[in-house]
Amino acid sequence: MIFMKRKGFALAWALVVCLLLAHNAYLWLGQHIAPDTDILNLLPVQERDPLLQRSFTHMVDAAQQRVVVLVGAADWNDAKRAADAYSAVLAKRPDLLQAMPATENAEADWLAQFQPHSLILLTADQENKLQTQPAQFWTDAAQAKMLSPFGGPKLGAWRDDPFDLFGGWVRERSQETPVRPRDGHLFVASADKQYVLLPLTLQVPAFSISAQQAVVPLLTLADAAARQAVPQVDIVKAGVVLHAAAAGSQANSEVSTIGIGSLIGIILLMWATFRSFKPIALILLSIGIGFLGSFSICWLLFGRIHLLTLVFGASLIGVAQDYGIYFLCNRLSADSKLDSVALLKRLMPGLLLTLLTTVIGYMGLALTPFPGLRQMALFSAFGLVFAWLTVACWFPILIGSSGLSSGALVRVYAAPPFPWPVLRANKASFAAVAVFIVLAAIGCTRLGANDDIRLLQNPPAQLVRDQIKLGKLLDTSNPVQFFLVRGNSVETVLQREEQLKKRLDPLIAQHKISGYQALSNWVPSMQTQTARRSLIESKLLNDGGPLTQLAGRIGEESDWVAATRAHLLESAKPLALDAFLDSKASEPWRQLWLGEADGTFASIVALRGAGNATLPLLQQAGSGIEGVQWVDKVGEISSVLGRYRQYMGWVVLCSYLVVFGLLYPRYRRNAWRVLAPAAVASVATLAMLGIAGQDLQLFHVLALMLLLSVGVDYGIFMLEHPKRGDYTPWLAVGLSAANTILSFGLLGLSKTPALQAFGLTMLIGTALVWVLVPCFATEN
Amino acid sequence: MMKRALVALCMTVCVAAHAAAPVAKIQQMLAKPKVLCGRFDQSKQLTGLKKPLASNGRFCVVTGKGVLWRTLQPFPSTLRLTRDEIVNYQGDHVAMRLDAQQEPTVRMINSVLFAMLAGDLAQLDSLFDVDGDADGNHWHVALKAKEPALAKAIGAITLEGDSYVKNITIIDASGDRTNIVFSAMQSGDSAMQPEEAALF
Repeated sequence: MIFMKRKGFALAWALVVCLLLAHNAYLWLGQHIAPDTDILNLLPVQERDPLLQRSFTHMVDAAQQRVVVLVGAADWNDAKRAADAYSAVLAKRPDLLQAMPATENAEADWLAQFQPHSLILLTADQENKLQTQPAQFWTDAAQAKMLSPFGGPKLGAWRDDPFDLFGGWVRERSQETPVRPRDGHLFVASADKQYVLLPLTLQVPAFSISAQQAVVPLLTLADAAARQAVPQVDIVKAGVVLHAAAAGSQANSEVSTIGIGSLIGIILLMWATFRSFKPIALILLSIGIGFLGSFSICWLLFGRIHLLTLVFGASLIGVAQDYGIYFLCNRLSADSKLDSVALLKRLMPGLLLTLLTTVIGYMGLALTPFPGLRQMALFSAFGLVFAWLTVACWFPILIGSSGLSSGALVRVYAAPPFPWPVLRANKASFAAVAVFIVLAAIGCTRLGANDDIRLLQNPPAQLVRDQIKLGKLLDTSNPVQFFLVRGNSVETVLQREEQLKKRLDPLIAQHKISGYQALSNWVPSMQTQTARRSLIESKLLNDGGPLTQLAGRIGEESDWVAATRAHLLESAKPLALDAFLDSKASEPWRQLWLGEADGTFASIVALRGAGNATLPLLQQAGSGIEGVQWVDKVGEISSVLGRYRQYMGWVVLCSYLVVFGLLYPRYRRNAWRVLAPAAVASVATLAMLGIAGQDLQLFHVLALMLLLSVGVDYGIFMLEHPKRGDYTPWLAVGLSAANTILSFGLLGLSKTPALQAFGLTMLIGTALVWVLVPCFATEN
Repeated sequence: MMKRALVALCMTVCVAAHAAAPVAKIQQMLAKPKVLCGRFDQSKQLTGLKKPLASNGRFCVVTGKGVLWRTLQPFPSTLRLTRDEIVNYQGDHVAMRLDAQQEPTVRMINSVLFAMLAGDLAQLDSLFDVDGDADGNHWHVALKAKEPALAKAIGAITLEGDSYVKNITIIDASGDRTNIVFSAMQSGDSAMQPEEAALF
């Protein structure tokens, strides 16, 4: 009867698993879903600002598909030859990369477009001089320009710009970028080399692995071709696709070494214990089903899943394996007369408690306001439940009473060579505890915290160097730290930008930043346009003013003065932002305009040459102006990670209390023995980190959370089998701890700081728990 | 911008713009001294103005240092070009300064200029189409920029001279005309006047 009931459960579970398989196949293969990668989606809902998020994606998306290459040599002709060789190789694969054509007439065209508005385009310096310098200054300037055989930019005849105002404005605009057209190429100079700039656009998605595998070798070929043409050529490359490819290959190699290493270790261990591969297959089955289940449910509940959830969820392997291992070890040591179903019944209290304590612990995360943590909580909880159900429903059927045989490792545990020290109320124990407390205090007080998002990645040094060099050579603006300017009309936005620029000018004078990019540089607000026109009319074109005086000097009459004045005023037509954005000249600046959403207009003021030290100054410069907001994506993400760390820390602490409450009904006075190893190991690990001078990160806290679950599981195993001679709990704990160390501890070898932090904590923590668990066993 | 400066100034030294045959001949005719100074008389006809504007002054070209262009009449102003800089002085104060670090074309302009000072004709030939002829000890060339952008900036230039460049005419795309006549040329260290040496 019991067997029939058990078979019923097993069949029911089989049905559930089939549904899960179908659902997952549908999602991954049919719908081609992908995990969410935007970290800002981890923020609580009320803190999200859609306009702010759009501004990020605006700046970053534009840059994502670009690859910028600089090919340089000391001699310009050499640089051109190398660049042509480079482009020739790329031209063979137009489906991967396309070069942006350097138009010949671009420069002349954009000047011509501004001609009808030239009178109202002034630099701040010129406005200042107009207001402070006497009339004679301007008369002299006009005459000098008249007589000079080499005037300013060739924008027309002298009478189009007699005072060199437009010329000065064009020169100031030219300084916003060091790139110039030259001989049909784009040219940038450094102190000792001259570079050809090749801006390329990817025709395939930057984050697709197949694209990366095609593009990176192509670029290497092009490198070789350029180097063959000119041996001492200097090639500087930057692009998101290069970083993604490097991260991908690093992950691949780490997965190979760490993954294969741990897999081999686990297989050997299992073989030494059970002398068959069946156990490991079963455990993998339970974990696999756990994943499938948690994924399906999370997708149904949330409609999406974040990459960070998947990463954290992967850690539940360490806990889910415990259930399978506990059953298998008990099966091994139990009498063969006891059938598996009855064995399961006997183990049920312990198994149930291990599941409950862990799930309740994770559910603490679901109470925080962060959507990311809630997802992680549910993903982990459901994963564990599904794995547990697999063990409960299928393992008894799949493994009969004589299904397992003991391997060599079992004999080691059956007859341990020496007695393990146990904690008793004696002097030695008190001394040990006292020493521990002192060391722990020292270590923990030295612990700092570092939530910088840059710890999540570890790009190769060459890429970083190239990126910095490119940024300096091209004087590019920063796409992740900028000002967001909002207003209820285009005019308001431009006026606020101008207010902001006045605050930023002193910073440029102090060389804290090298400049800013703003739409109001090109299209002043109407208020400013009108003010400038009247300024020029009153200071330059007035009767008796510089123009009249000049006429006197060169012997012209008042009709010439009138004609010239009328001609100049024709170039004072108002310039509208829309007209500018529609023209070709605005191409590099269009990304600064965010357009209109819900009646609010917004634009971006980007900064050039802002170092990390100037960020607080910039934040201060923008404060106080209505509608101006300082945006620092790196800082914000780091602060999100920091808040997650703090919340998780509190959840871990509360979990200890809740777990104690769950254990008390069954173990009464001995409940603390279950928690003690995990607590001691956690504190000891933190102390060691502190002494080593490491900073606490989110991933450390996650590992502590996992350590609690794992430690409690081991404690329960020990307490369920209090008999001294029973080696079962030792075997279970040993096997599980060894597996955990092999799967997570090896992450301590990763070069990515975040993963290294996680792995190291798990390594030290699990080893300590393994060693300490027997010390807290009951006297028996 | 300074592309006009480039052309105008480089012409004052010695130009090798060539249609194959006369280049070598013109090169041979031109003296290429280390220091060359002299007087210039300039006449400009600007659109909208009835009368042409006349000015005169002195100029100096020094290999390895740069070019100095001092207008003396009717209104003093000084233009100085060195390897990394173009500066326009009005009296004592700087009316305009272009630094190679901020304006990359400065070096390019000046390098072409100095290439010509060194007698490197290949540089000019890459930027301009040249028509010329030379007979006896007198030559005459017309330059047209190859790139449309440069042509729009510079316009059409004609030069003539014998052992030195004697006459330059520049016609802008906008219609302004400039004509410069050189005289009283001197070469050698004694050619530079003390106030000119000070400005360098």
